[in-house]
Amino acid sequence: MKREATQDALGVHERASATPERAASAQRLAFGHAPTWTEGELGLREQQQWFLAIVSTPQDEPAPVDARSAPRLIAPSATLGSLERIEIYRRGYHARLIECLADDYPVLQHALGEEAFEALSRRYVARHPSHAPSLNYFGQHMAEFCRSERPVAEEPGFAADLAALEWAIVLSIHAPTAVAIGFEDLGQVPSERFPSARFRLNPSLQILRLRYPANAYLQAYRQGKPIAWPAARETNVAVYRTGRSVWRLELEPAMLTLVESLGSGATLETALAQLQASLHGESEQQLAEKIQHCFQHSVASGLFSGIFI
Amino acid sequence: MANRFQLPNLGIGLGLRTKHYSTILEHKPAVDWFEILSENYLRTEGRPLDFLDQIAESYPVVMHGVSLSIGSSDPLDWQYLRELKALRDRTKARWVSDHLCWTGVAGKNSHDLLPMPYTEEALAHVTERVCAVQDFLGAPLALENPSSYAEFAADTMREWEFLGRLAEQADCALLLDVNNVFVSSRNHGFDPLTYLNALPIERVVQFHVAGHTEHGTHIIDSHIGPVIDAVWQLLAAAHRRSSGVPVLLEWDAEIPSFEETHAEALRAREFIGAAG
Repeated sequence: MKREATQDALGVHERASATPERAASAQRLAFGHAPTWTEGELGLREQQQWFLAIVSTPQDEPAPVDARSAPRLIAPSATLGSLERIEIYRRGYHARLIECLADDYPVLQHALGEEAFEALSRRYVARHPSHAPSLNYFGQHMAEFCRSERPVAEEPGFAADLAALEWAIVLSIHAPTAVAIGFEDLGQVPSERFPSARFRLNPSLQILRLRYPANAYLQAYRQGKPIAWPAARETNVAVYRTGRSVWRLELEPAMLTLVESLGSGATLETALAQLQASLHGESEQQLAEKIQHCFQHSVASGLFSGIFI
Repeated sequence: MANRFQLPNLGIGLGLRTKHYSTILEHKPAVDWFEILSENYLRTEGRPLDFLDQIAESYPVVMHGVSLSIGSSDPLDWQYLRELKALRDRTKARWVSDHLCWTGVAGKNSHDLLPMPYTEEALAHVTERVCAVQDFLGAPLALENPSSYAEFAADTMREWEFLGRLAEQADCALLLDVNNVFVSSRNHGFDPLTYLNALPIERVVQFHVAGHTEHGTHIIDSHIGPVIDAVWQLLAAAHRRSSGVPVLLEWDAEIPSFEETHAEALRAREFIGAAG
């Protein structure tokens, strides 16, 4: 149960005022739907609605304006027609949002391959346009999207699990920063108060119950030893941050039981009793050692940020 | 304190980028000031703010936003403005800037700086909103001239006229991006000096410089690579008209080391004099 540091991005999307320079897409550019706008001058509202409707239309779909009508909205330049000028914004819109998803999901991108990831991202951008001033949470629907879109024929659940793991890393970055308690903090607790002590979980902690070993895949990728898509194997992964470091820790069932009990507000005595009840077929000494190990390991890993006596 | 708003000349600054966090925090290089991208530090309670707090303790910062959407026909987003103001107070940012643009409509955010129609209707609309934002912030808002690749068929004035009239009517500050002037001058076919000379220079509180990418039929404001000489010359021309305005380099793609980026920013001295 070694915890692994996540060499994640620094936690912000560099959303600058620059226009992204992404290679021209292989997507066919299609225009052709006649506009349905009314005759007469367009006011500010109509101008903006039409402009954004064109810009946000997927690049492989016809935009809601044709070459004959576009000059009503945008004037041509000496070198570019009206549609070509809008197309610069259309390309930039999709490129920026796809880059944002690639920033959040580098390992999913690796697993799917760049082409499949881009295709998935284009569908994501169409399905989940941004409504927020910040891009920090733009990618929040990816795991669910992978489940519904099934970007690959084989093991589609693995892509969803990998996305869930990468999104948990993003969330831990944006969660409040807390100082983890350590053994020295436990040393301050009078021994007679231990049974009634309660613990506060690290506020960045998320526990993922995955059907695939996505963490092992991610770790192999990070270590530069990419592995094949794994077969299904249930794992529980804790993702959390202490200071500036994001950690991933695979939890054995016993440790999961303990952490979840304490996280639900149980006293230490109750949580340890629940843990003991979940363990079977071991000698009393093995049981005691296991319980002690689970508790010490969860403290040493930084899963708790407070103790109440 | 030569501008109309008595905002300080901070010198030559850099756009703060995550790639440079560790160098800045470990080595505390001598940089006059940093400009932060406001939205990068909104909707987070975590590590981005930890970094920012440390940097803001050691350096003057200015906030530069991309989602105010001052030109949108949607209502102003007051929740966003509250968050912006809280960040301003947290970082003690010297001023807050954004762009003369809109970023979305009907609740959708394109996260792009979309061009305004330069019409009387749009001017009245933006003027009213700038006044409302400044009232809320209790401070002048600095609006930046955007790069643009398209002009609306309904335009009845040029961008510099729109921006100048807006600044006077709303009594707001200006952030003059000379690279954007260069990019738009090529994309729309005007003389960049006409643009520079038409702006009320006493309202300019900050200059931007950046690199761009030539595409033959148009130029993209990519913020890649060093600043070209023609843009430095525009900075020199604008700076001569001013009484001393801080300069900031934006470098947002293929970002080099901190040292190389800072060295590029400091090239501004060649064009505005060592005093800045």
